[in-house]
Amino acid sequence: MNGPPMARPIERVVVRLDAASESRAAIDTAARLAARAKAPLHGIFVEDEDLLHLASLPFARQITLGADAEPLTTEHVELHLRVAAERARRELVAAAKRHGVTFSFEIVRGASESALAGASERDLVVAGGLARPIAGHFRVECRCWSAIEVTPGPFLLVRHGWSASGDVVMLLRDRTPASVRLLEAAAQIAEARDSGLTVMCPPALAGAAGFEKWLADRLADHPVRLQIEVGPAEPDALHRRIGELDCRLLAVGVGLAEGRGDRLREFAERFACDILVVR
Amino acid sequence: MNDQPASGVAEAGVGPQPAGPGFALGQALPPALLYRRCDPAELPFALCSELEEAPGLIGQERAVEALNFAVRIRGKGYNVYALGASGSGRHSMVEDLLRRKAEREPTPPDWCYVNNFDDAQQPRRLQLPPGRGAALAAAMKRLVEELRAALPAAFERDEYRARHEAIEQQFKQRSEEAFGALQRGAEAKNITLLRTPMGLALAPTRDGKVLAPELFNELPPAERERIQHEIEAIQSDLEGVMRQVPLWEREHRDAVQALNRETTGFAIAHLMEELRQGYSDLPEVARYLDAVERDIKENVDDFLAPAAPEAGVPMPGPMLHDIEDARFRRYQVNVIVDNGRQHGAPVIYEDNPTHQTLVGRVEHLARFGALVTDFNLLVAGALHRANGGYLVLDALKLLTGNFGWASLKRALNAGQIRIETLEQLLSMASTVALEAEPIPLDVRVVLVGPPTLYYLLSANDEEFGDLFKIAADFEDRVERTPETTLLYARLICAMTGREKLRPLDRDAVARIIEQAARLVGDADKLSTSLRAFIDLLRESDQFAADAGKEVVGLAEVQAAIDAQFRRGDRIYRRLQEEIGRKTIRIETDGEEIGQVNGLSVISLGTLAFGQPSRITARVRLGRGEVVDIEREVALGGPLHSKGVLILSGFLGGRFGKNRPLSLNASLVFEQSYGGVDGDSASAAELFALLSALAEAPIKQSFALTGSVDQRGQIQAIGGVNEKIEGFFDSCRVTGFTGRQGVIIPASNVRHLMLRRDVVAAAEEGRFAILPIDTVDQGLELLTGIPAGQPDAGGEYPAGTLNQRIAARLDAFAAKAAELARLASGLGARP
Repeated sequence: MNGPPMARPIERVVVRLDAASESRAAIDTAARLAARAKAPLHGIFVEDEDLLHLASLPFARQITLGADAEPLTTEHVELHLRVAAERARRELVAAAKRHGVTFSFEIVRGASESALAGASERDLVVAGGLARPIAGHFRVECRCWSAIEVTPGPFLLVRHGWSASGDVVMLLRDRTPASVRLLEAAAQIAEARDSGLTVMCPPALAGAAGFEKWLADRLADHPVRLQIEVGPAEPDALHRRIGELDCRLLAVGVGLAEGRGDRLREFAERFACDILVVR
Repeated sequence: MNDQPASGVAEAGVGPQPAGPGFALGQALPPALLYRRCDPAELPFALCSELEEAPGLIGQERAVEALNFAVRIRGKGYNVYALGASGSGRHSMVEDLLRRKAEREPTPPDWCYVNNFDDAQQPRRLQLPPGRGAALAAAMKRLVEELRAALPAAFERDEYRARHEAIEQQFKQRSEEAFGALQRGAEAKNITLLRTPMGLALAPTRDGKVLAPELFNELPPAERERIQHEIEAIQSDLEGVMRQVPLWEREHRDAVQALNRETTGFAIAHLMEELRQGYSDLPEVARYLDAVERDIKENVDDFLAPAAPEAGVPMPGPMLHDIEDARFRRYQVNVIVDNGRQHGAPVIYEDNPTHQTLVGRVEHLARFGALVTDFNLLVAGALHRANGGYLVLDALKLLTGNFGWASLKRALNAGQIRIETLEQLLSMASTVALEAEPIPLDVRVVLVGPPTLYYLLSANDEEFGDLFKIAADFEDRVERTPETTLLYARLICAMTGREKLRPLDRDAVARIIEQAARLVGDADKLSTSLRAFIDLLRESDQFAADAGKEVVGLAEVQAAIDAQFRRGDRIYRRLQEEIGRKTIRIETDGEEIGQVNGLSVISLGTLAFGQPSRITARVRLGRGEVVDIEREVALGGPLHSKGVLILSGFLGGRFGKNRPLSLNASLVFEQSYGGVDGDSASAAELFALLSALAEAPIKQSFALTGSVDQRGQIQAIGGVNEKIEGFFDSCRVTGFTGRQGVIIPASNVRHLMLRRDVVAAAEEGRFAILPIDTVDQGLELLTGIPAGQPDAGGEYPAGTLNQRIAARLDAFAAKAAELARLASGLGARP
C-alpha cells in the first residue's frame, strides 16, 4: 500500500477471530492497516469457553436451519471450532499475502476478554462487529464487546468491507491526551481510506480560542478533508445528527462509556457503521 | 490447294475405285481432303468484336430442353443431373440458365434461429419475409441495449427502493420479532442464546455469563431440572421459529420477485409493445416476443448485475466481453439466411459439398477450457442459402466430399434441413448437443458431372433415380455447318469480351474453328469444349501482347497451338529421336516379308500423339492357331485380343473352306514394352500375317491403321490424325523418300484435320494418305501384287496374292497330313 506511514507507530495489528462472527471484512481491514503501518499482522482465534461449557451440559442442543435439534457435545463443538479456526487462518494468510504483510496466527481458548490479555497499548485490535446471521437478518449479540473493556490500545470494530463509502466521524469532547490519541487514530484511518474526517465537538470546544489551529496542528501530517461540526449536547439529538451524516466509521473515546462495554455497545448499536474506540 | 494426287505416290495405288465424295479407294487423297479449311472469306466480319455475342452454348438444345423442363415442373425428385464432358461449359451454362429463370421467381424468406426459452438445447426456427430477419435481429439487439439502461434505472428509482426496503423490513421485522421475543423471554429466565458454528444453542447464565458445568452440577437437582425444562421449552419455541424461517424466506423471495416482475413489466412494456407492432403480421414472431418478455421478467437480475466481473479478478478483454455477452446471447436472433438483398430466387454453387457445407454446422466457443455452443453458433449450409431456389453441385466432389452425398439425399428425401454435427449423424456423440428445429426444404438441385458417374449412380444407387429424375445430356461436339461456324465466331466474340481479351481478326477466328474440328478429330464436327477455347484464346492473346499487337491474328493463334503441343511433346520428340537413331527400329523404306508398320496413339496428359510400331508375323506348320504374343505375356488388352481373333476368323473364312489351316502363326508388336489395347492394329496384323503366308514382301514406306472384320472389311479407328502425323514425323527423321504414306480406313477420311506440314508434304507429293475399304485393297497397296478374286470354284488366279496364300496353306496341309500319316504308322508299329 502506498502513502506515508501512520504518524504514531503501531507495533502490531491484532485481529480477533471467533466462530460466531463475520471475519472476512475484519481480516481484510486489519491486513490493509498493517500494510499501511508497516506492522505485522497477528490473528487470534478465540475458542469461546462459553460454548464449551454449554456443550458439557447434558441437555445442550444445537438448532440449525437445515435439520432438527441435535445434541451439542464437546467433541462436536471442538470439531467445528477447529474447522472455523482453519478457515479463519486461510483467510488471514490470503489477506496477508494480498497486502504484503508478515503474519502470525494463534488459537486461544477462554473467555472473550481474556483472549486479548496479551495485547499492548501499541497494538491496534481489529474485530468483526457482527455475529453471523441466522435467517438472513437475525444476529445474536456480538461477543467481543467485553474485550473492548480490557484492550489497552485502540479497538476497531469492523462491520463493513474496506470499500464501503462514507466519511470518518469522530466525537471530540476535549483536548486531553486521550482525545489527541483518538484524533490521530481517526485521522490515520481517514487518510488510509482516502475519506473525509468530520470532527464533531461540543459548542464550548468548537468556540474555544485557537481550537481550529490546535486541530490543524494535530492533523498536519494527515492530508484529509477536514470538517468541523458542532454537535448537539442532548444525546438523542446527537445520535440523530450522527445518523444523518454519511458515516462510514465512528471514532469515540472510551470515556464516552466510562470504559464499560455494555454502555459502549448500547451506544454503538444505534449505528450500523464501523466503530473505533480509543482509550 | 492442289487437289491432284502426287505422282510419286499415286504410282503405288491400285487403280481408282469409287468411294466417298472426292476421293478414290487405294489412291492418294487429294490435299483438300486432308484438312477442311475454314475460309476466312466466308466469315462476314473483319474483327470478331463486330459480331453480336452468342447467347450461350452451341448445339446443346437437348440439354437446355431438359433443364427448362426441370425448372418448370414442380414435384419431389425433379432434380437434375447435367452430364457431359469436362470443359464443355456445363457449369456456366447451367448457372446462366438457372439465373435467368431465378430472376423471375419470388425471393424466398429469411430464416432465423432463436432461443427456445423452454429448452435451450432445441433452438426454434423463425421464418420471416425477405429482409425482415436482419431487422428483427437488429431490433432485438437494440432492445437488449435499451433494457440494460432502462431496467437498472427502474430498479434504482426511489419508488422501487422504497417498496423493496419495505419488503426487506417486513421480513427483517418478522424474524427479529420472533427471535427477539424468544431471546428476551430466555434472558428473563437467565438463559442466553449462543451462536454456535452451525446454528444456535441455549445456555443457562448467571450474572450474564454462561454457567460452567461444575457450577451447574453444584446446583440442587430440582434447580437443575427446572433449568433443563425451561431450556427445553425455549428450545422447542426456537425450533418452531427456525422451521418458519424457510417459509419466511420463500415468501420474501416471492415478494421480491413479484415486485421485480412488476417493475420489469412496467419498464419494458412500451419497448416490447413497439417491437410487437413491427411484427404484428407475423404470429410466429409475436409468440417469440411473448416468450422473450416472460424470460426477461424471470431473469431481470442479468440486466441489473454490473457489466464487469468482481474487482480484483483480472481478465483479458475478449474474455470479459464474452462473459458480458453470455448473459444476453439468448435474446439474439441468428439470421442464418438473409435474403434482404436477394432479387428473385437464389442460385448457389457450392464448390466444396461436404456434410457441413451442405446442411450447415454447429460452431463452438472455447470458454474456461470447455467448448460451448448455442443457437447463435448455428451456421447455414448451401442448402439453406439455396432454399427456395437452385443449388448447383459438382457430382464428383459431392461423392468424394465428407458425407456430402448421404446428407444431400437425406435432406431431399426428408424435405427439410436438419443441422447436425457429424458426431450426431454418425451417432458417435454421447454429450448433450443442440437439436435445432429443422427448416423445410424447397430447392432444385443440379448435379454437374461426367456421364460415367451418372450411369454408375443410376445402376448402383436406388435413391438416385427417385431424387434425380431429369438428365440433361450435354454434347461434346456439334455439326460443322456455315451456321454453326458463324455461331462459333460469335461465341469467340463473347468469350473475348467476357475475358477482356484482344479481338481476333477473321483469319484467327477461322484458325480457331479449324482447331475446334481437330480437337474432336472430325473435319465435319466442332468441339464444344469451352475450356480448350478459353485457354487457346488467352494464350493467343498473350502472344499478341508479346508482339505488341492490338488484334490477335492467325500467327498468334498458330503460335499458341504450336506452343501448346510443344509444351507437352518431350516424350514424343524423344521417341522420334530414337527412331531416327534406329534405337527404335521403324523401317520407312524397302520391303520386308511378314512385317508392317502399325500405328498407335499415346495419350500423355493433355497431349495425344501417334507412334509407329513394327508388327511382325511368323508362320509355321501347326494346328490353325494364331498366337498373339502380346496376350500371352499379358500385355494385350481385351480389345486387341478380340482383333486378333477376328483376323483368325477372316483367315479361316477365306482360306479354310477347302483345306485345313495347318499352320501356327505368331504376331507381335516389336519393341513394345507396355500394354497394347484397341483393335486399330488388327488390319496391320492381318497384313503382316498374309505377307508371311504369301512370302510376299510389304513396302515399309507405308504405315497402316484400321481394324478389320471377319469378312475383310476395313473399319474406322480413332486418332487417325495423330497416327498419320506420328508416321510422318518418323519419316522426317529417317528421311523422306517421296514414296511414303499412310493407309487408312476410307471411313476415316472425314476425320482428317492434319497438320499443315503434313498437308504441304502431300501437296508436294512427298507423302500420301491412301484410303482403303477392304483387306485386298490394302494388300495390293502394300505389296504391289494383285490380290486376286476367287472363281466359281473358289480358286484364285495364278500369281495373285490370295493364290500364293492358298498354295502355302495347301502345302502346310499336305505336310501336316504326311506327318499325320507318319505318326499314324509309327503308332501302329508294335
